[in-house]
Amino acid sequence: MKIIVAIKQVPERDAQVHIDSSGQWIEEANLQYAMNEPDAYALEEALQLKEKAGGEVIVISTGPERVSQTIREALAKGADRAIHVVCDDLAARDALGVARLLAAAIQPESPDLLLTGLQSEDLGLGQTGVIVAELLGLPHASLILQVEIIAKEGSKAQIKARRELEEGWFQSIELPSPAVLTIQSGGNKLRYATLMGIKRAKTKEVRTVHAADLGVSAAPAVALEAITLPKKQKSTQILNGSAEEAAAALVEKLKFEARVL
Amino acid sequence: MIFALPTLAEPRHFSLAEKLLFLALAAASVWGFWRRFGVVLEKILEAKKDAGFHLFPIGRRGREFLWEVMCQAKVIRQRPLPGLAHAFVFWAFCAFALVTLNHCATILGIGFLDPDGFAGRCYFYFAAVFALACAVGILGLFVRRFLARPRWLGEKLSWESGLIALLIFALMATYLAAFFVSDKNPAAKALWWAHTLTLLAFLPVIPHTKHLHLVLSPVTVFLSRGGFSRIPPLSGDEDFGLVAGKDLTQLVSLQAYSCVECGRCTEHCPANNTGKRLNPKQIVLGLRGYLNEFGPSSDEPLLGKYNSQQAVFECTTCGACEFQCPVGIEHVPILVGLRRGAVNTGAWDDPHGAKLFLALERGSNALGFPLAERDRFIEKNALPLYDGTQEYCLWLGCMGGYDPKGREIILSLVRVMQHLGVTFGVLRKEKCTGDPVRRLGNDLLFQQLAESNMEALKQSKTKKIISICPHCVRTIQEDWKEYGTPPEIEHHSEFLARYADRLPQQQSREKIVFHDPCYLGRYRNVYDEPRAVVSLAGKLVEAPRHRERSFCCGAGGGLAFLGEETGERVSHNRAAELASTGASIVGAACPFCNTMFRDALAAQGAGAPQLLDIAQLAARTLPQDNST
Repeated sequence: MKIIVAIKQVPERDAQVHIDSSGQWIEEANLQYAMNEPDAYALEEALQLKEKAGGEVIVISTGPERVSQTIREALAKGADRAIHVVCDDLAARDALGVARLLAAAIQPESPDLLLTGLQSEDLGLGQTGVIVAELLGLPHASLILQVEIIAKEGSKAQIKARRELEEGWFQSIELPSPAVLTIQSGGNKLRYATLMGIKRAKTKEVRTVHAADLGVSAAPAVALEAITLPKKQKSTQILNGSAEEAAAALVEKLKFEARVL
Repeated sequence: MIFALPTLAEPRHFSLAEKLLFLALAAASVWGFWRRFGVVLEKILEAKKDAGFHLFPIGRRGREFLWEVMCQAKVIRQRPLPGLAHAFVFWAFCAFALVTLNHCATILGIGFLDPDGFAGRCYFYFAAVFALACAVGILGLFVRRFLARPRWLGEKLSWESGLIALLIFALMATYLAAFFVSDKNPAAKALWWAHTLTLLAFLPVIPHTKHLHLVLSPVTVFLSRGGFSRIPPLSGDEDFGLVAGKDLTQLVSLQAYSCVECGRCTEHCPANNTGKRLNPKQIVLGLRGYLNEFGPSSDEPLLGKYNSQQAVFECTTCGACEFQCPVGIEHVPILVGLRRGAVNTGAWDDPHGAKLFLALERGSNALGFPLAERDRFIEKNALPLYDGTQEYCLWLGCMGGYDPKGREIILSLVRVMQHLGVTFGVLRKEKCTGDPVRRLGNDLLFQQLAESNMEALKQSKTKKIISICPHCVRTIQEDWKEYGTPPEIEHHSEFLARYADRLPQQQSREKIVFHDPCYLGRYRNVYDEPRAVVSLAGKLVEAPRHRERSFCCGAGGGLAFLGEETGERVSHNRAAELASTGASIVGAACPFCNTMFRDALAAQGAGAPQLLDIAQLAARTLPQDNST
């Protein structure tokens, strides 16, 4: 089975972000980057499928030169080869624009399964994987925790996937291969990167494709006006009354204002 | 002369048959020795060369050789009675070298020590004194091994030790007896032959038993890597630590064959003493067994038939074994080497370990908190940021930046530094130094953390760091060297001791027991400084196991992050010992010890001593109005 995993490089979790002078993106100069966590789970799922049933795992990522570091990490964890869609204006493209690049680069590979993270840790749009499926004309499902391949006699493989619903409910679905699944964090234990993996990754193939050569439109469908950092605010409320009244008021607020109950 | 001193009887005439018999037996004895020793030597020499090994500077090696081998200092100091008995046997062997040469030369008519001459007589008396001490010593060791039988010598009685003791005793007895017969008496010749036969029987026994240490351990001590628990660099693209026989280096192989099986390592091992599988002596003997069976170029995994992965990951890297070892075995680099082999190849699959590695691959600290938590702590307590103008960069570390107790220690140190008028600042961003992953054998992650930190420190123009954590201090000062030039760093105990005369002395008779952290004591040789600080706040008392013999808290070697232990908790064992001193305060100097004892002392029940870091003890002596 040929599995492609689309991964994204995002600022590392502890990055201190600042908005740049354009007001439309963050300053990238001193940032350190990491693999988007849901994508790491997608990669883990792909590696485990390969370990069970054999096949090939190919990672694809789009972005500037710095993305090659994250690609190396994926290869170190066990992917067989990689495709790097070099694109220096990633921030200027919307989800549709990025999906077009990915779909164009993936199409010639005709994979049996395409996995990607449910959403990215930086923009969190949650659309890229789904749009790629639409562009490729493939069935898709989102919020997937586990994937299983069921080999049907005489016909093509079926994919069985477990989706997470609200309030602890799960849904089990079957899709024909090829299909696109967007993976939810936490379905598997991630493996740690090893020195041996990194050394072995040096000899693995990374094919570079330039965004401009894919012949897709870079024009965004969504116009981004400005980005802002979330405002830090502290507001303390004193609940008066007897203990019972205060407790009742607290429950009310936790339920309907803070929405944590 | 008032009474005639006895003279060593040396037979004057040997027949040709006797000479031929001697030569034949001597040849057989040497052959018996070489048949085994040659194999061992070949295995050692065939092993991989040690990366980063330098013979020079030779002064350090000479000093260690003189102190540990010739003076037997460590052997005596750490186990006085058996140590002294052993030293007498050793010194007698040295003194006997000339006697033995002369003894064998006599039969060939080329003896060079004349029992009637002045020099010869003097030397024979000199050797006789040692022979007597040696005979008494070996008898004592025999009684200890076969009657007293301490646990760490192993459950099985070693017949070879008995044989060797018998041979040594016979050597000494036949020598001493020769002073009491005349050289014309046939008994003189009988004694000569008895001595010779014992000697020729002894030689081939050496390489076949642990008495190989007679030959190898002086070399092992001389060639040791030096420094305490120095983890060697990896060499080349195919070196992932100790994975298989082909990764065993010459030093490791030499050490494996040098082990004398005395069990000092096991006697002091915190894991072994709390019912865990790890037995450092068996780790070394396991490598020896491996080398004997598979050899130094094998692809057979090292963790398998002879050593278990579970045992290797139970080590707290406290280094008690390595400190105690009298024959120069460096246990910690071996244990860390085996972990490197398992982690660098992905063979180690542990949910806690993987969680720690992922937390540090993606985040900045071993505790897995977001960096913003650290920012909030700095902001809330108005800690100054380091801008290159202050004297010290105050390294918070994972514990100081995120752990509530660790933060209290930092704030106490800050109070003391402000009182002293010493300027300092904290970094806006810090990553874990990589200590837990270094000791767990994850070289990839350690390199990333070390390089990223060194780059940040370089940009902030840091020259001098102060830290509350001995693990940070060790890792920054020694381990980072593999990837660059780390800035100067000191532990806060060293800083506080230097300023002790400028801090108020509290008139308190409160008893404080100080727990030596492994990474401050054995790793850094800092014992007196924290005690000087403790003495400011009360009366210092010592636990039974203290200074070099301090017992680990159980946190080191990344074990603080690996979840529940099997058997008794190391921290509980130590906490009970500290509480039994009757002290009302336990003085700590490491935030990891602190976090372990926090729970372990609470488990001691009501009346358990209070737990305070030396920074908190120093801050207690300050006038109240200085409080922040």
